[in-house]
Amino acid sequence: MERSCVYCRKGEEGMKVILHDLDRQYDDLLADRCDRMIAADGKYAPCQGCFGCWTKHPAECFMKDQLQQVCRTIGHADELVIVTRNVYGEYSPEIKNVLDRSIGTSTPFSTYRGGQMHHTLRYGRHSLWKVIVYGQITEAEKETFRFRAQRNAVNDGYETSEVIFISDLKELEALV
Amino acid sequence: MKTVFINCSPKKRFSASAYFLALQRLFTGGEKATEKLRTPADHSRILAQLKDAGAVVFCLPLYVDGIPSHVLRFLMDMETFCVQSDLHFSVYCIANNGFIEGKQNEPLMQSFEHFCRRAGLTWGGGVGIGGGVMLNVTRILFAVDIGLLLMDIALSVANTGSFFPREAWFSFGENALLLLYFNLGVLYYLIRMGTAIRRQGFCGKKYTRILIPSFVFIVFADIFFVIASLFEGGLFRGWLEKKPIEE
Repeated sequence: MERSCVYCRKGEEGMKVILHDLDRQYDDLLADRCDRMIAADGKYAPCQGCFGCWTKHPAECFMKDQLQQVCRTIGHADELVIVTRNVYGEYSPEIKNVLDRSIGTSTPFSTYRGGQMHHTLRYGRHSLWKVIVYGQITEAEKETFRFRAQRNAVNDGYETSEVIFISDLKELEALV
Repeated sequence: MKTVFINCSPKKRFSASAYFLALQRLFTGGEKATEKLRTPADHSRILAQLKDAGAVVFCLPLYVDGIPSHVLRFLMDMETFCVQSDLHFSVYCIANNGFIEGKQNEPLMQSFEHFCRRAGLTWGGGVGIGGGVMLNVTRILFAVDIGLLLMDIALSVANTGSFFPREAWFSFGENALLLLYFNLGVLYYLIRMGTAIRRQGFCGKKYTRILIPSFVFIVFADIFFVIASLFEGGLFRGWLEKKPIEE
């Protein structure tokens, strides 16, 4: 099975989805702890900003690679857990690529959420946007990550956000 | 001093980033070079431009509250290149988003600051622009207005011999002023940034937007997407449905 395709499936309602950029050796560990897992290996094209996933083929990208319908998997998540390397207080490019290609989780219509303009949600509200960050990181970058996760949670309609910083990937088992 | 402008939009043409880059070029003196960043194949060409740069201006769209993935990949390469080459030029950022609040670009700006710190570069500040797509449309409307004016002048010359059809000029002036008003916040902060670039100083982090009320903006944005979805067919393909996961 391809590493970056949806890999395990247990249920549809109240789904927990894990999105990670770790080595293949972590796949089994993470797959056991979620309903669906997306392993981001970066072997796909970046978003072209065409809005086709809103205006042409809703909730589907025009690029026919492993991320073509990834927004549907993320959209169905009630709890989304992202395991990412730190890059300037931002997700790793591999993770960001998946998130950039997932805007079909919302519709093109606009609304106000958290006092600001956002898109209405195709799949309704979700519960938890959780980010586990590994790799060398400064205090300022940690602050940015917390802020970013809050912004992501509001933007994507999650009730809460949580950010955990780990210094050793051995800590992962107890956190996901 | 050489300023390198990097258009980071993945779009081939008519991007909002290209529009803001063109404006910023107008307000920046000295030697200028413009590069386009779309794929990893562009990295080495752009990095070569940075060797003798005094300032670098990134123009990019906001993607999911942050930096687009293809730009992140470039920044990682650029960090290595700048550290190895002992470069310390100033970095400026012009970010635009589709929502009306320019403030939504704040996480992106913070990441650029962190990038500069790691790469040993000087953070020169940035401008976050809300309603970037709609501001980009204003330049198209301006071009249409010029076309209509030229057509009116041609008709007037043919009919009366006059190069100054009063009503056509008045209508053009009115529309141009309106479009200028929408762009005033952007123009002000880009002029300020141009001044900062000339002296390689700090222009702060500033946020602006298209100058129309938010509730009016939302109505126009919704109409835009309805029309686009009608022509592209999405309206008839379960436009707002919860699409199932296909195995």
